[in-house]
Amino acid sequence: MIYLDHAAATPVSKKVLEAMEPYFLKDFFNPSAAYLPAKKVAHDYEKAKGVIAHAIGAKASDLIITAGATEANNLAFTVINTREYPSFSERSLAPVVTGLGRSVFSPSENMLLERGYSSRILYLITEHDSVRRVAEQYGGIAIKVLPSGLIDLDDLQNKITDETKLISVSLANNELGTIQPMAEIAGIIKKIKLDRMKRGIKTQLLLHSDASQALNLLDINVARLGVDLLTINAAKIYGPKGVGALYVSHEAKLKPLTLGGGQENGLRSGTENVPGVIGFAKAIELTKEHLNGNRKKYASWRKILLSELTDYELVNKKHILDNFIVLCYNGIDAERLVFLLEEQGVYVATGAACAASKGIKSHVLKAIGLSDEQIAGSLRLTLGETNTEEQIHQVTQIINKIIKNEYSRIKKN
Amino acid sequence: MNTVYVGMSGGVDSSVSALLLKEQGFDVVGIYMKNWSKDLPGMKCPWAEDLADAKRVAVKLGIPFEVWDFEEEYRKKVVDYMLDEFKKGNTPNPDIMCNQEIKFKLFYEKARAAGADFIATGHYARVGRFEHNHSGDGLLAPVVTGLAPSSSVVTSGSPRMVSSQSSSTCLLRAVDENKDQTYFLYRISEEALAHTIFPVGGMMKPEVKKLAEEKGLHNAYKKESMGVCFVGEVGMKDFLKEYIETEPGEIREIETEKVLGYHEGAVFYTIGQRHGLYLNGEKGIVNDGMPYYVVKKDLPHNIVYVSKNLNNENLWVNELKLEKIFFRSGLRPVGPSILVRLRHRAPLIPARFDGKKLIFAEKIKRPASGQSAVIYKDEICLGGGIIA
Repeated sequence: MIYLDHAAATPVSKKVLEAMEPYFLKDFFNPSAAYLPAKKVAHDYEKAKGVIAHAIGAKASDLIITAGATEANNLAFTVINTREYPSFSERSLAPVVTGLGRSVFSPSENMLLERGYSSRILYLITEHDSVRRVAEQYGGIAIKVLPSGLIDLDDLQNKITDETKLISVSLANNELGTIQPMAEIAGIIKKIKLDRMKRGIKTQLLLHSDASQALNLLDINVARLGVDLLTINAAKIYGPKGVGALYVSHEAKLKPLTLGGGQENGLRSGTENVPGVIGFAKAIELTKEHLNGNRKKYASWRKILLSELTDYELVNKKHILDNFIVLCYNGIDAERLVFLLEEQGVYVATGAACAASKGIKSHVLKAIGLSDEQIAGSLRLTLGETNTEEQIHQVTQIINKIIKNEYSRIKKN
Repeated sequence: MNTVYVGMSGGVDSSVSALLLKEQGFDVVGIYMKNWSKDLPGMKCPWAEDLADAKRVAVKLGIPFEVWDFEEEYRKKVVDYMLDEFKKGNTPNPDIMCNQEIKFKLFYEKARAAGADFIATGHYARVGRFEHNHSGDGLLAPVVTGLAPSSSVVTSGSPRMVSSQSSSTCLLRAVDENKDQTYFLYRISEEALAHTIFPVGGMMKPEVKKLAEEKGLHNAYKKESMGVCFVGEVGMKDFLKEYIETEPGEIREIETEKVLGYHEGAVFYTIGQRHGLYLNGEKGIVNDGMPYYVVKKDLPHNIVYVSKNLNNENLWVNELKLEKIFFRSGLRPVGPSILVRLRHRAPLIPARFDGKKLIFAEKIKRPASGQSAVIYKDEICLGGGIIA
């Protein structure tokens, strides 16, 4: 098996599994219970949270543990007072594209406001559905991206009004691996905050970032990123699935989505997922330890792939995570490639694994201006710890052969 | 005469059909018919996964594969028909309409235009031929010519090899009686049938699954879809709620006009139905343990009538009047020994047909208006009609 879909899921590493095991069998106690063994479990849980928090430059008390990144993203949006904003069920605006010289339907600001949209929430058009759907639900407005996949900072500045309270921009995109310039965004926000203060405007301006795709590939520090809310996730860093966390700065005031026993500062009730959090802590520890080595390794394998593969167009060239390669084979149906590669024991994703299974064209690839044909022919390869350099050489041969066959098959028809 | 376009749904039956045709040496082209893709509340339409499943099989078999979009036509010819019938108080069968209008018409025509000699689907049914009996009424024994590989079926080669001026194509019940789908196929056109192959029609379902497993088709593990494809597990009632505006109304006892309860909309109820009635009448009168049945719907007044009387003329009947009668070419039911199927997978009941109505020796529970009665002579499907 050659697995090249580490952005979709990673295997739990052996050390992580070992760390978790006692908490399934021996130390299974409810951390809220009164007796000593339970107290010890509570202590281990808090310690593990501390490790996770420390890895992103935060404190344990800043973290709300959730059941994954999706929940963390949903929770982040509760900084908006829901009562003030009705929810919208039908939303079908065409994505807004810049810099392509094509005319794309772009609703005017007034039109948007009339339909109940508001600049209180701004989000990047290429966000993962767990941000995009929530933002749409609140009537948020999308910020454009440049054909490079990077945020259009002019568009961001134009769309921020005195009403704007939350801006959500993922640190690295899940389909392209594009790394957004968070420091620049934070700089803009800082200036606007100062200006608001000068003018006596009290509306908060918060920055949320979904960092789940970047956690094991970038050195993440909440202060340096300038974020108020940060989503992280264990499942993509060789930890268990179903465990995530939201970093919350003191400025951001959330509302719980789940009520009950008042765990996680009352913001996320439910008995703590002790083994999950222990595993998350171990995984993030290991990630930090191997960060630089892995980055170098992936970057060199990436080079091998790009030089040995043939007939492709590279979709994302700059500002991307080291383990991301998005290729475009014009005229070829990428879903067929996935099945053909599967037969050879090679597992890859189409342009966007999530989008493909829903039968809709990737909104991300659309937003950076790819044609329908290019989207249909896009393949996402994401490198990871299961790979070896030998595999990389092997896989280029397998892919090249399949592509050659597909092109000759198409020619025949 | 060697090209077959197979309708591939992503399910095990059509996947194995494509596999068998390929093994028999046909030039096989797989087609996914995209008929419906809309989600319903609480149910995600599985079309994209089905499409991916079909595509994976096509890639595995190394056959060309295309998606044909029939959504607009399907909406018009099948869904709108279905909704109209429900609004009239009937209980239509959209699967029969889908076969008649989409799979064995649009798909057939498009496939032929694209160069297909035959089309194929994963239906459990067989295509045979019969010799005309020139005395005018009877039938001779059919020559079964299904392409089934199973040894349990008498085969005489593929349909193209039989050519006799005095013989016609006919639709035959599947070998797997439990899976027979001729009930849904009785109205498909003669021309389409003459150019159709049902590769699994001669096989038993467990054989089909086993073959899929042996050949490494992942579809063998797929959960079988039940009911109307686009309604799925949500159920017809929830589907109708999305598309038909209804008002709550009274449920009355037909003999006394007494109001026993209330309903959510008369269109949701079917004559003969006994479940899902929420009656709140007086204790001892309603709840004496005897079930109430829906016996009549007064749509203009939005009243559903129920009765406990099993002898009610709307519940148990000796006769069924048929409308839109369709007999397959050259075939007419004669004699007292025809068989009738009133629901998919329901037992075959002996009956007589007088040209307008079916006459049964013993009383039968009356099917809802809008459902089909399909008529057989032995294993040949003669046709049928829609119950008035």
